[in-house]
Amino acid sequence: MRTFIRQHKQAWASLKKKPGFVLTVLMTMGITLGALLCAVTLNYLLLVEPLPYPEQERLFVAEHKLIGAKNETKAVAFTYPGLVHLYKSKEAFEQAAMLSYGGDVIISHSSQPLINAAYVTPEFHQILASPLALGRLFEASEAIDTYNPVAMLSYNTWQNEFDGSADILEQKITLSGISYRIIGVLSKDFIEPELGEIGQKTNVWMPWDYNQAGERQRESFGNISGNLKFVGLLKKGVSPSQAKQLLTPLVSNRWVEGVADTDFFKGWSIEMRVRSVKEAILGQSESIAVMLLAGVIGLVLIACANISNLFMARTAEKQRQMAIQAAIGATKTHLFKAMLAETTLLMFMSIVLALVIAQTGFYIMQQYLGAVLPRINELSLNPITFGCAVLVTIAFALFFAKLSIRMINYRALNTTLQSSGKGSGLQVSKKTRQVLIASQVALATVLVFANFSLLKDAMKTINAPIGFATENISTLVLNFSSTDFPTQEESIPIMAEVMEKLEALPQVESISQGRSPIDGFSIRALTNVADNERYTPYLKGADHRYFNMIEQPLIQGDNFTLVDRKDENNVMIVNQAFAKQLKADGDVLGLQISMGGPDPFKIVGIVKDIAIPGDTPQDQNSDAVGTGVARVYVPNGLGGQSFMLKLKPGQTVSREQLGKLLAEVDSRYSVFSFNASSDILTQSLFSEITTAVTTAILASLVFLLAGIGLYGILSYGTQLRRFELGARMAIGATRKHLVFMIIADNTKAILAGFIGSIVLFSLAYIGLSEYIQPFLSWQMVPMIVVTLVLIILVTLFACYWPLRQYINQPAIFSLRGSD
Amino acid sequence: MTDIKIEMKNIGKVFETDDVETHALKNVDIVIRAGEYVSIAGPSGCGKSTLLSLLGLLDMPSSGSYIIEGHDVSSLSLDEAARIRNEKIGFVFQSFNLIDELSVFDNIALPLQYKKELPTDEFIKARVEACLKMVEMSHRADHKPNQLSGGQQQRIAIARALVADPAILLVDEPTGNLDSKSGDTVMAVLAELNKNGTTICMVTHDARYANMANIQLKLLDGQIVKDEPLKVAV
Repeated sequence: MRTFIRQHKQAWASLKKKPGFVLTVLMTMGITLGALLCAVTLNYLLLVEPLPYPEQERLFVAEHKLIGAKNETKAVAFTYPGLVHLYKSKEAFEQAAMLSYGGDVIISHSSQPLINAAYVTPEFHQILASPLALGRLFEASEAIDTYNPVAMLSYNTWQNEFDGSADILEQKITLSGISYRIIGVLSKDFIEPELGEIGQKTNVWMPWDYNQAGERQRESFGNISGNLKFVGLLKKGVSPSQAKQLLTPLVSNRWVEGVADTDFFKGWSIEMRVRSVKEAILGQSESIAVMLLAGVIGLVLIACANISNLFMARTAEKQRQMAIQAAIGATKTHLFKAMLAETTLLMFMSIVLALVIAQTGFYIMQQYLGAVLPRINELSLNPITFGCAVLVTIAFALFFAKLSIRMINYRALNTTLQSSGKGSGLQVSKKTRQVLIASQVALATVLVFANFSLLKDAMKTINAPIGFATENISTLVLNFSSTDFPTQEESIPIMAEVMEKLEALPQVESISQGRSPIDGFSIRALTNVADNERYTPYLKGADHRYFNMIEQPLIQGDNFTLVDRKDENNVMIVNQAFAKQLKADGDVLGLQISMGGPDPFKIVGIVKDIAIPGDTPQDQNSDAVGTGVARVYVPNGLGGQSFMLKLKPGQTVSREQLGKLLAEVDSRYSVFSFNASSDILTQSLFSEITTAVTTAILASLVFLLAGIGLYGILSYGTQLRRFELGARMAIGATRKHLVFMIIADNTKAILAGFIGSIVLFSLAYIGLSEYIQPFLSWQMVPMIVVTLVLIILVTLFACYWPLRQYINQPAIFSLRGSD
Repeated sequence: MTDIKIEMKNIGKVFETDDVETHALKNVDIVIRAGEYVSIAGPSGCGKSTLLSLLGLLDMPSSGSYIIEGHDVSSLSLDEAARIRNEKIGFVFQSFNLIDELSVFDNIALPLQYKKELPTDEFIKARVEACLKMVEMSHRADHKPNQLSGGQQQRIAIARALVADPAILLVDEPTGNLDSKSGDTVMAVLAELNKNGTTICMVTHDARYANMANIQLKLLDGQIVKDEPLKVAV
């Protein structure tokens, strides 16, 4: 033990004299190992760690797959009565729950905050065994059809909106005109399953009965909604496939019965999909997490190669000290232990920094990637992180010590002192140096190319023209705070007055009734009357000012008129993509389209296509994404409670200002949401922006590390050749000769690196072809060229930079000491 | 005088550190004519190697003028100095400075590869073989330097210095790393070359070898204290 302490004290004293070396090792290994710990913990959390719910292995979601007449999947979403039918059947599941998501405004609260609401049957929190901070969970008294107006708050909502009030259980909140008694507050430790969307954070939980589905939707088997979910504990001994077999006929038969009088659904059926809650939450995140881990491992390998170079240089520097130690009786093992003490100390310091960086990384991920990766709030330093940290510390400490000691020719070291320092007991062989250069180039090429490809893909989506204006346009959605909903006739004059007042605001340039395209479309089943062909395009209600405001060009026919809206004329505007689906030549003006009602709609105009990020074509046979998505527009009613406001450049309107304005017109109305279209567009591109930023940072880091690494090893090589360079200069070599010589000498290693990168790519393709295949196209060629050029430039720089100190000085500088 | 190969006038060399100036050479005047064999001797630290570095354009003087075959080379750029070294000067180092990875043939051919106009392969072959013959090492052309003895390596270094047909051969302690037998052999080669017309300037601290030159310069504290032809050339 005493020897151990002494060795580490000596190592510390020795390292203290080399703060630059220590700092470089610390920063390089600390940052990259921090990223590694982050990626390992994330992958463990997503791929291995069980969900934090009891009996989570029996926790499954059931989903409704709408199968078309040609056996194609039309959509994956429940119909309201279909879901209730499944819930009430109690088949396959021991315990099951329904839930529906929505947004609402707490009218009774002074700041009238917009909150995320979830409407659940009592079993939901019972299955999850949700921990409580206060009160109770929903129970039988809140079961379906009991209409008991009670609510549960999330811990954060209790803290943020109600200041953690101790008497919260005696309070009531009002949403959409209904007063709910607060019966419970969920614990801080409750982890909500992200079934609706990644990053789902429900503020207020209410009984299922109060969900936001309209009366028509509650009855209709023809309306599907992505907001409706079913989750339950599978009966013991029932497998997911058995559950699927049991549930499919049960649900499908009821659905077919329910849509029997709708021709549109003729030949369609329902297939149930039963998958684990974990799988449903994970979605596509598995590949993101694995790719992140692969990228970080690449970074660690590059960093490891860099630090290996530094350790080799350090060993060379310690030659004399080691020679003295050897002369007074130190064996090779003694030297190894001394070196191990140094590498252990360095790796220990690096791992401490890495843990700090990992914790910071978790925080950053929780702040910025909450909408991209699920379960991110569960990330924390855990036994896996610490276990990985310990393993990494031991492995790297041993590796660097072993590598350094391998450089020592112990026999030659013994003669070093005898020959007055001439000759060398240590040297990294040319072959080792060439292998290091080749591996650096190979890794850097693979990582830079992979990052560039992802960056280019993300930038392509970010920069893709959307085909409509979002600048200065915001969507205002009103909230009606009473259960006594006005009729269409009653709301028309109210909305007209609201519009008048909004238009009179000095900040407002123009106004349109309806929502911006970026706020979303619904999906509607349509039939072409001429040939009875069925379609499911995106649909939106628009007023007569809509296309002008968003600058979406009308390329054929007419726009809607105010009269169309007043008289509720059955007219329709379609986009080019839908026009081409209806008729190959796109000439569809006058065509009759049935929306299921008695009178078909007549196509009066064709508008240019727009591209909304994330929109996929409803026609499963089409590959088009964004542009090429079929869309139809119909005149909206005059009583609609949504408006697009185009503000004058540089002007803003606050939510409070709008709230006051609405209160002046009718106190039952308040602001539900008021969002800038450009903000929503940015949000919808969040995943791409995150990818772009991450890959750009990774690519820069790779360049930096590769540059440092190549510089390190080439610098070491150049240093070894100092006298040779001096001799060449003495016999007449110019600087150009020497630069070319160094480049030529390293060309073989660089080429080997490029070949190595092709091998790595091929191996990655064999192992990960499903992820890589979508990226393979001729468009990769410029990326390959750019990557190769950049890597060559970095390598040329690394060749020249260490050389400059010799070739830019008189030859004698290099020769000094050669004798 | 057209037969003057090298002429140094009032040459000084000062090494500067942060706050210390060291005058390594002061007011050195040297003239070396074609066919002369000059030795520079002196105690350790007197400036011999510094002077040879300046003569070989491995370093630049701080003051004074330096003329090689009528061209002023006192203030050349690094690349111009390299060009002159390649064309006019042959350098022989104490530690040989052969390149281990190249064969003896390639080591000798190296200066020809740095010529402004690259000679033909035939010319290079003929020239290298002639130089190998001069130093009696033709049989070792394909060997690597580390397969040769110290004396043999120094003879190869001499051959390399001669290959570009320089105006002068500058030799730095040629026997410093050799045993006496090898040293004698190398010195014999130099004497033979001088006899055949090669101009040589040699730095040595060995009085025995210094006496082999027909002009002996003695340096003391950076200044020439003796500059006279020997009466009897060895």
